[in-house]
Amino acid sequence: MAIIERPTPTAAITLRAPVTPAQSMGIVRRPVTSTGWKSWVFTVDHKKIGIMYGVFAMFFFIVGGVEALLIRLQLATPDGKVLSADLYNQMFTMHATTMIFLFAMPMAAAFANYFLPLQLGARDVAFPRLNALGLWLLVAGGLILNASWFLGGAADGGWFMYSPNSGPVFSPSNGVDFWTLGVQIAGFGSLIGSINLIVTILNMRAPGMTLMKMPVFCWMILVVQFLLVFSLPVITVALVLLTFQRSFGATFFDVAQGADPLLWQHLFWIFGHPEVYVLILPAFGIITEVLPTFSRKPLFGYPFVVFSGASIGLVGFGVWSHHMFATGLGPISVAAFSIATMAIAIPTGVKIFNWTLTMWGGKIWYSTAMKFSIGLIVLFTIGGLSGVTHAVAPSDTQQTDTYYIVAHFHYVLFGGMVFGLFSGFYYWWPKVFGKMLNEKLGGWNFWLMVIGMNMTFGPMHILGLQGQPRRMYVWTEARAGEGLFNFGFWNKIASLGSLILTIGILFFLINIVYTARKGKIAPLDPWDARTLEWITTSPPKEHNFDRIPVVHHLDDFFHRKYQEDATTGELVQIATGEQLVRAEEANADAHIHLPSPSYWPIAIAVGVGTLGFGVVYGVPIMIVGVLMILGSSFGFVLEPSVAQDIDYDPPASGGQDTKELAPLG
Amino acid sequence: MITTGSKYCFGIAGLGSLGALIYMILINPSDVGVLALLGIAIAMSIVGGVTQFTGDFDADTVSDAITVSASAPANSMWPLLLALGGVLLLVGMTTNPIIFLLGIVVIVAAGIEWALQSWAERASEDSAFNRFVRERALTSLELPLLAGGAVAVIAIAFSRIMLAVSPENGAIIFIVVATAVLAVGFLIAVKTNLKKTSITAVCVLGAVALLVSGGIAGQSGNREQLVSAAAEEHYSHKDCEETASKYFDKNSEKTVSMKSGILATIRVKDGKLSAQLIGLDAPVATVTVARSNQATILFRNLDDEEHRLVANLGVKKVGETGVVEKIVDCTQMTGKNQTQALLLKINKPSASSGPYTFTVPGLEGQEIALVVP
Amino acid sequence: MSHEGTLPVSKQNMTIFGGVKSQGRLNRKKTAVMAFGVLFMAGCARDAPQDTWQPKGENASNINTLQWIVFPLAGVVGVAVFALIGFVLWRYRDKGQAIPHQSHGNPAVEITLTIIPALILSVVGVFTFRGIFQLAQTNDTQMVINVTGQQWWWEYDYPAQVVNGVEISQPIITAGQLVIPTDTKVLLRETSRDVIHSYWIPALNGKKDAVPGRINLLRLQAYKPGIYAGQCTEFCGLSHANMRMEAVALEPADFATWVANQQRNAQQPAQASLAQEGEGVFLNQCIRCHQVNGLKKADGTAAIAAPDENVYSGAAPNLTHLMSRNTFAGAAFDLVTSDCRKNIWTASPEQFGAAYLEGVSPKCLNQTNLRRWLRNAPEMKPMYADPTKLASSDGKYRGMPNLNLSESDIDKLVAYLSTLK
Repeated sequence: MAIIERPTPTAAITLRAPVTPAQSMGIVRRPVTSTGWKSWVFTVDHKKIGIMYGVFAMFFFIVGGVEALLIRLQLATPDGKVLSADLYNQMFTMHATTMIFLFAMPMAAAFANYFLPLQLGARDVAFPRLNALGLWLLVAGGLILNASWFLGGAADGGWFMYSPNSGPVFSPSNGVDFWTLGVQIAGFGSLIGSINLIVTILNMRAPGMTLMKMPVFCWMILVVQFLLVFSLPVITVALVLLTFQRSFGATFFDVAQGADPLLWQHLFWIFGHPEVYVLILPAFGIITEVLPTFSRKPLFGYPFVVFSGASIGLVGFGVWSHHMFATGLGPISVAAFSIATMAIAIPTGVKIFNWTLTMWGGKIWYSTAMKFSIGLIVLFTIGGLSGVTHAVAPSDTQQTDTYYIVAHFHYVLFGGMVFGLFSGFYYWWPKVFGKMLNEKLGGWNFWLMVIGMNMTFGPMHILGLQGQPRRMYVWTEARAGEGLFNFGFWNKIASLGSLILTIGILFFLINIVYTARKGKIAPLDPWDARTLEWITTSPPKEHNFDRIPVVHHLDDFFHRKYQEDATTGELVQIATGEQLVRAEEANADAHIHLPSPSYWPIAIAVGVGTLGFGVVYGVPIMIVGVLMILGSSFGFVLEPSVAQDIDYDPPASGGQDTKELAPLG
Repeated sequence: MITTGSKYCFGIAGLGSLGALIYMILINPSDVGVLALLGIAIAMSIVGGVTQFTGDFDADTVSDAITVSASAPANSMWPLLLALGGVLLLVGMTTNPIIFLLGIVVIVAAGIEWALQSWAERASEDSAFNRFVRERALTSLELPLLAGGAVAVIAIAFSRIMLAVSPENGAIIFIVVATAVLAVGFLIAVKTNLKKTSITAVCVLGAVALLVSGGIAGQSGNREQLVSAAAEEHYSHKDCEETASKYFDKNSEKTVSMKSGILATIRVKDGKLSAQLIGLDAPVATVTVARSNQATILFRNLDDEEHRLVANLGVKKVGETGVVEKIVDCTQMTGKNQTQALLLKINKPSASSGPYTFTVPGLEGQEIALVVP
Repeated sequence: MSHEGTLPVSKQNMTIFGGVKSQGRLNRKKTAVMAFGVLFMAGCARDAPQDTWQPKGENASNINTLQWIVFPLAGVVGVAVFALIGFVLWRYRDKGQAIPHQSHGNPAVEITLTIIPALILSVVGVFTFRGIFQLAQTNDTQMVINVTGQQWWWEYDYPAQVVNGVEISQPIITAGQLVIPTDTKVLLRETSRDVIHSYWIPALNGKKDAVPGRINLLRLQAYKPGIYAGQCTEFCGLSHANMRMEAVALEPADFATWVANQQRNAQQPAQASLAQEGEGVFLNQCIRCHQVNGLKKADGTAAIAAPDENVYSGAAPNLTHLMSRNTFAGAAFDLVTSDCRKNIWTASPEQFGAAYLEGVSPKCLNQTNLRRWLRNAPEMKPMYADPTKLASSDGKYRGMPNLNLSESDIDKLVAYLSTLK
């Protein structure tokens, strides 16, 4: 069923009297096909964009994973020979950059894009073409970042890119240039996306959905977008300074000119610390949807979870210097940031207690999604507790820049974020693709990931406390210690663990392929879920909801299915999810209005990418890039929001085969 | 078939390449102008290609959908400007590349305006709508470009004036002009019934005054001080004498931003020099600076007289003449309770060319040893 | 100040080990035990030279005290939380019970569960606060050493001063190994010539970054004579992994001997010896960057190295007393054979001073390492010695280039370098 609204073409042609035409200002005809590759590349549909974000992120998850495997292979033995020093430095820089900017953030964006409008009861995001622009800018950034591998070597200064080491003298290859530009461009994409999502959440909720009736996933996404809006400009400034220093001879971080290299660190971590919460909060949001669903209970203390999320975001802006305890800030700053860092453990603890108490008294269904969510609670708690140990600044001066920190943030980011995302994969796969991921393969996937993850990152705690620093391309026998349980032993365990982890993730990929070929068709409400995204078909129609739902409760979908018996107080099912979906279809809205696809988002992104290459390779390419951006921006601005009559192919046979619309009144 | 839109783009691309070719032959094959023209050509080819690829208006269908406007074409100044551009181009070729560039700018601008105007006039049968589409397409280009040009002219003219007059007069001119601008702006804002012509007259008068005086100032060149300062390199050559130097001490700062993590603080109090290292309470007689290391020394003057800190860094021979010259570095004159920073990077150890010291001109017998091991 | 650490650290390390072995069979409790175990396991490899739980000096002991507060506390909290989760997961599994009552929470429980961690953390906070200011104290310093980081080695210079009655009359300049007297509060004033480095001797104190243009302070104090390993911990470019250092603590008397030796100029090698030929090679090649105090040019004037003209960061290790240190090239390689190394590293505190002060005897000299280094340094330790990568460093090297020395020149140089006691 095609649903793109198209006015009937007859009137304009037959009537010769002067008419005021619609404001058709596109230079070119809009893309209107709803099948084939063009329907993906030029789409503005939040669901397609969400899926593309997901595919992009998954690809770079694999790229980043391969980089990680090479790192572990190098470190499995002393004086490893797998990678040269130069290549190793590129590898750990790009592993972090890829995982953060090209996997974690896009994957969170994938979930946010796909499910936010569905959970809010909206037909699309507020600015659909900006949404597409965000995606394509991210793709441009990702390509620039990874193009460096083939153009003289990737960045080798660490993802933190401390000056002066990132300056033109100390990092002479173009890698750092590609890195700054890639991150910059991907950052623009995120910034555009975050403004879009904030407007969507604040303006496009279904009637009746007050902020405090909004699903926690949406809340966490809202907090994350605010974090991005306030932190990305800081890194943008820092990256502009670095780009000017490298490409145009500026001296912002040049000590010989009286500059202070700590300026970069402050700028970087004012962005970098909130970024940690940008990564983890979407995962928190996901499991806060999953846990109540599979415990058959509402979230314990909804307002506490919401406000603890918001306060994590707020306090997250006041702790950046705990990354800099060893830089000589002076005892007063160190003490202040140390205490602030401890304070952030409190709202985090609240979340853990609330998740546990949500399960308390419940009826727990151990689906794969639920297993991953529980995995997150446990593993994140370990990461959180090790975090408290280095909130104690003097203790941190022993642990910072050792593998203890690597262990800590991998428990937080892998055990926390990645497990949350996988929980989301299993929970929402039937919604997105209409098929159930295999639970048995899911079990293998989960347990191998748990084992692999703990074997990889668990020993790193010990390695760090034994004094193995990070970012060293080799470790040496001379510092490994005697006895069985020395560096050598734990490094081997960690490397072995990374292989198990890889197999675990392979099971997920196998599961995807298996599901695509032989997977079970998903029922409309497979998990007896609680929120609005389940009140439509799987996968949802292009216009999401046949009828915009009216919300009366938190977990409205659940309340439409179950009611408390007035006398016994017991819950009684009054409708199945299937029945509710069919009822919506029977009462569909008329005149569903959707934005049309557009060429310009991707055209602008191509221009921005060209400009990026121009910064590295010279002014002529920059000029071309700027002209492309200017031209496509004009196209973007002048285009009306809905495709015109003229944009469609002429009717094939006397108007019989026109693209018919959703039920018109 | 090549469609209308892509014809337009390819046309500009062709013009651009032709222009680049002419430019290369006649002016300078490696000039930035060539790059700009080629850039236009490449960008327009790409846009044209996209247009062609995506279909554009199909001529047959378009004739159905869009009818030629019934109204007559409006008056247009673009043909005239285009011709003017051509003249400038030709004159520029033989005389001055700037005129040539101006010609290109005029031709491009007039061409775009003309093309869009005639396109807009045929956009529909409704001339009001046609004006609307023309403005929507062009004002977003015209306004920023014109505004940018105006700002550039104002900045250039005003800066010429400020560079030509003496600093004292400069301050007066600045105050007067700023007050005048503020007053006129205030008037316009408050008296909403002012006639439009009188506002225009004031603005035009101001603009003419600015342009004329800017032109005169530009002709007469920078004030003598600036010229001589540039010639005598007062900014790179530091005057480390006891008395204040006219140029070097002119911009003496009152604040120092980096106050933590400095190597040492040297103070003058009651005519006595003392040095203190961070982390140590007791004053020291010797300051050690690692070789080839960027070090920051703070100089703090607690006395009433102005002082400066001088680092005496041995001697060097000037070329083959055998003349020996002292190597010194110093802060600017520092008033009472003020602090100045001295950035040092010493590549040679003190053993190589005699003892290094910190002294303050005018304070006899006071010195702090500077050791570079 | 007692010579022992304030807390008994090394005794308790093996106890938790049993709980960690079977990582494979994971459940929540297992994870809990593991997390708890992991934190204490660091003590296991008691010989790891950079272990952070074996303080050998006052500052590290202060840090260790804090570690012994916060780590067990985190462990206990972890076990409690995991026990709760484990209980919930077992008790409320789906046994076919009815759909539970849809309760939305309990503010009293919430507030309690917010206040408890806040209280725990404020206790930790108080100790942390005290610890931070304790460690920042410098006004009772007894000795000052300037430490300068450079890609990829550390330079130490000892300004003229009197330490425990021992007078350092001329500045001492050395590299790689920091030598300090025991039981003396030593203040390191750190800075860097190029990028940010970080100075870390885990047994003596936590890290402190060496930031170019800034002076950062780090206090060290060692209870007993011995050699304490360290490593640059701020990523500093290509050979970051090869930027190591050692702190050597000597009894005050031994320290006086060391100071006396360091103040000496290098001896002229015997006439017509191989070493004297080596001196010629040195004057030809090495003096461009490496200073040897007392070395004279053919015309009798003092030979002064000018590393700033050849090396981007502007300095190279002073080799006057190379053979008094037992590592070279940023403490990345041993200058002594492995047997001799073992003798020094495992010497008892009483014998350590004598063992270290013996320096590199001809018997102990690790000829393999030294010759390999002279043959092609960047092959042994990655450095920016490739001219194609030097476009933006004014054509100067970063690190030691391959000098393309002939084998006979290498023989001569080794003979000469061995005389630099």
